Amino acid sequence: MNTILECKSLTKNFSNLTALSNVNLALERGRIIGLLGPNGSGKTTLIKLINGLLVPNSGEILIDGKQPGTETKKIVSYLPEKTYLPEWMRVSQAIEFFSDFYEDFDQKKAYEMLERLHLDSKKRLKTLSKGTKEKIQLILVMSRKADLYCLDEPIGGVDPAARDYILNTIISNYNENATVIISTHLIADIENILDEVVFIKDGLLTLHTSVDDIRTKEGKSVDTLFREVFRC
Amino acid sequence: MKWELNSDRPVYVQLIEQIQAEIISGNYKPGDKLPSVRDLAAEATVNPNTMQKALSELERIGLLLTNRTSGRYITSDEQMIKKLKAESAKNQILEFIDKMHQLGFEPEETLNLFIEIVKSHKQD
Amino acid sequence: MLNKLLKHELKATARLLIPLYLILLFFTIMDRIVLHLDIFKGVLSLIPGLITIGYVLSIVAIVVVTAILMIMRFYKNLFTDEGYLMFTLPVKSYHHINSKLIVAILWTVVSIIAVIGSIFIVAATPENLKAFNEGLKMFWAELSGPSEDHRLTIFIELILMLFLSLINNILLIYLSIAIGQLLNGHKIIGAFASYIGITTVLQILATLLIFAASLIFKDIVEDVTFIRTTVFPVTILSLIILSVIYYFITDLIFKRKLNLE
Repeated sequence: MNTILECKSLTKNFSNLTALSNVNLALERGRIIGLLGPNGSGKTTLIKLINGLLVPNSGEILIDGKQPGTETKKIVSYLPEKTYLPEWMRVSQAIEFFSDFYEDFDQKKAYEMLERLHLDSKKRLKTLSKGTKEKIQLILVMSRKADLYCLDEPIGGVDPAARDYILNTIISNYNENATVIISTHLIADIENILDEVVFIKDGLLTLHTSVDDIRTKEGKSVDTLFREVFRC
Repeated sequence: MKWELNSDRPVYVQLIEQIQAEIISGNYKPGDKLPSVRDLAAEATVNPNTMQKALSELERIGLLLTNRTSGRYITSDEQMIKKLKAESAKNQILEFIDKMHQLGFEPEETLNLFIEIVKSHKQD
Repeated sequence: MLNKLLKHELKATARLLIPLYLILLFFTIMDRIVLHLDIFKGVLSLIPGLITIGYVLSIVAIVVVTAILMIMRFYKNLFTDEGYLMFTLPVKSYHHINSKLIVAILWTVVSIIAVIGSIFIVAATPENLKAFNEGLKMFWAELSGPSEDHRLTIFIELILMLFLSLINNILLIYLSIAIGQLLNGHKIIGAFASYIGITTVLQILATLLIFAASLIFKDIVEDVTFIRTTVFPVTILSLIILSVIYYFITDLIFKRKLNLE
């Protein structure tokens, strides 16, 4: 089966608002996909639904044909916006944690990436800066040979050098047969690495197309199109 | 190599142009081995699929050769590179003539002006 | 996967408790030595007092840390940012309850044994041990009444009740935390409110039940065997039922109503 993610009439309400409304979406394997929309448009809600942290009110979400659960968590590698590693852990303990729980985790790869950052794995996470912690999380997430990577705002609030490091880490490490979903509102920074884009506005899916199509047919960048679609 | 990509044209088209330019200018020599798709993609910060697409196109026109076991090479066919160079020069000149035309110069006038400027440039 | 969760839960907790046990061991030995030596005169006579203070403080620290750790591990590891890591692991949600519960029980039992053991070490003199023995005998006599045939039954019932109320209490705390996290921005207050709310309701229900029972069983309440044959088994049964309810509601919240911010 070539579809890795499928949403059918997916709807998620919170007590006072609709976060996602009747979303239909099918993503194929082997793509890098930008999940684009302003803050509060429903990007994180969709990613949380994929990861089973939320349950839809109606509709269905399928990852490799299965509803979110233990089986899908084995093949989805998730980078949340939060720094989620326990602060007391040493970097090496965080690596051990990942390799204990994820069969697809490549410990050797993780240590190689750490070495390239000149990071001492004996250090405790609480002694590291926020930026370094985020890089370590990215290394852990990208050291898995997953089928679907969900990266929630991986380049939010980082300097250009860190941004290049992050994008290079993603490009050079994701599993070729896998799909990478990158959610962001900073489109100009990442549009060169995207195959496809999905626009979300106020919980509605407004566009799903290939980047080359936007550039050839519309003759404009994704960023320009985004600014037009989401003009206030 | 330095990659400069603007954002309103398809990325793979720009990748093709830039690799061609590298070959014409001699930065990539005939018979040189190319880095892997992943490495090139990471270097240019583009999607590996897009880099693959550009390289396939260059393979199709014969500028790149693929050896199944050892990777991708620049063609050793110097004739072909010369032809590409000539073609590239022709395109530049056509584009130039076109722009001059937009400024109101006929090709004849453009040529005279061109010769004049080249001469005075030499004297400097 | 439960094994791996247990391994990491033990690691996360042992790093705090093991040092405390070692400190307690140190003060226990010191206290035992100084209390049974009569060599401290003048300013030096302060030494036994200081060591005893250290000893008492280390006991207090163990009790407090054991209790707080049980609560904080559940809250911090599952419902703060760390929850993003824990709830996306490929494990069943109830394994999180199991691993936290098993480790909490383990440390509670170890802490109780450590504290009681250390008190014995410090205080054990022939006279003290004798007095303790007699106290124990009196306690038994009270419990078993005139007949001595049912001592084993009562003993087992008592241990079961202690153990089950420990589990029951931990699961109630877990449920309260799980309910509390439903309230955005007031998760901790929500947890306290749920705990107080649930215990109050249960208190009222229990009082009513006991009152009703005392009316119905008026004649037999006078009989001491009533405790062994009815009061204890009913208590044990209700502890089990309540624990099961707490467990399943907590897991249901894990599965359907996670509210990570």
